[in-house]
Amino acid sequence: MTVANDMSLLTLIMGASLPVQAVMVILLITSLFSWWYIFIKVATIKRAETESEEFENKFWSGGDLNKLYEAVTAGRRKPQGMASIFEAGFKEFVRHRQQSRMEVSDVMEGSRRAMRAAYNRELDDLDAHLPFLASVGSVSPYIGLFGTVWGIMNSFRGLSNVAQATLSQVAPGIAEALVATAIGLFAAIPAVIAYNRFASSVDRLSVRYESFMEEFTNILQRKS
Amino acid sequence: MLRTHENSDSWKAGALAILVHAVLLVAMLISFNWKTAHTVLNVTEVELWDKIPESNPPEIEVEPQPVLEEKPEPKPEPKPIVEEKPKPEEPKVDIELENKKKELEQKKLDEQRKKQTLDKIKQEAREDELREKKATEHKINDDKLRKLKEEMLNEAGADDAKASSAANASLIGEYTEKIKTKIRNNVNKSLCGDGSLEIRVEISVLPTGQISGSPTFTKSSSNATCDDAVERAIIASEPLPLPDDADLKVQFKNLKLKFRPND
Repeated sequence: MTVANDMSLLTLIMGASLPVQAVMVILLITSLFSWWYIFIKVATIKRAETESEEFENKFWSGGDLNKLYEAVTAGRRKPQGMASIFEAGFKEFVRHRQQSRMEVSDVMEGSRRAMRAAYNRELDDLDAHLPFLASVGSVSPYIGLFGTVWGIMNSFRGLSNVAQATLSQVAPGIAEALVATAIGLFAAIPAVIAYNRFASSVDRLSVRYESFMEEFTNILQRKS
Repeated sequence: MLRTHENSDSWKAGALAILVHAVLLVAMLISFNWKTAHTVLNVTEVELWDKIPESNPPEIEVEPQPVLEEKPEPKPEPKPIVEEKPKPEEPKVDIELENKKKELEQKKLDEQRKKQTLDKIKQEAREDELREKKATEHKINDDKLRKLKEEMLNEAGADDAKASSAANASLIGEYTEKIKTKIRNNVNKSLCGDGSLEIRVEISVLPTGQISGSPTFTKSSSNATCDDAVERAIIASEPLPLPDDADLKVQFKNLKLKFRPND
């Protein structure tokens, strides 16, 4: 004698109680968003890395800084990453030099501030969505656990009405409830991995930007 | 939500995100056999017995009835066909001669007819005799058969009576043993220690298997907690297993159980 339980994913989800289903829907949407952001961030960080690589190559090739500035600002779109820092610093430096009645230290200070501002903007762009990934990674297991606890509570409550408790009376309810935890984990694990990876990438990029800022300040100081 | 520089990637990233979910869903649906088919164990309770009770009454061997050999009835002999002899051609010679001849022939015919009738009579007589003989044989056979049958019936009846009483006794034994095992399964053995205790209990079982009143201990185990445990076990074992037969149920009205909880 065999008993075939239809435990397909669809029936498990459809058979779950309303709060559990709501939790599943929330987690699914969260997971979709987190993956969306993951892919966006993969693309942007990769692009930022390649762009800074290219810019450093151009910068250290020893060309004229004015020419480089023109090339950077000539493009249709706003310069990004290291180029935007360079653009802000060089623009400020040139402006101060045109006024020509300022101390060198003031000029350097001004361009440094401009670069710092551009750097902060860049970092803000790079850090975008990382807090979302961090909260998904830390909270979605709890949301899934909430759904599971709720489902198990329900299935045990149903158990209290029968005289003889068998495993087959609780098992489907628990299986349904555990789907919520599974979805929560599925949302959380990639989010945590991506967060850690992106955080380290952003850190490395910011270190790179900062060192470029220092070096560029030195070059500007030599020029003035 | 999105930065301006991220707009170019958003569609691609969204498509990829949906793709990841679809792939994972498909992988889960394929890799898992969600339809679980498991064999349901047929739980059977097994009781261990020291002696095998004579639960099966000895089977009454029904002797095969002696098959009567039916004697084929003698077929009635075909009646002799009286051959009509063709009339002799009338000779155109002497009439006298002819007459004489006719007479002679007539005589011959007459004789033949006589002979035939005689034969017939004789045969009939023989047949009658045969029939009578057969009838008597039948009678004897029938008598023998009847006697045999009666004897057999008597024997069978005696056997039946014996067998039913034996079966009853064995059934009672079987069910007392069943009651004991049921109670023993409910006894919390940790309360009775390790020693070989013996408890004698009298319980009166109603035909429904319920216990009327409370069990009385005719011999206590000198261990009050053990006695209590056994009493609780007896009450927990309701309804006690009883045979279907109403006559047998009465026999359990005063059931004396000798009970060793540690066995």
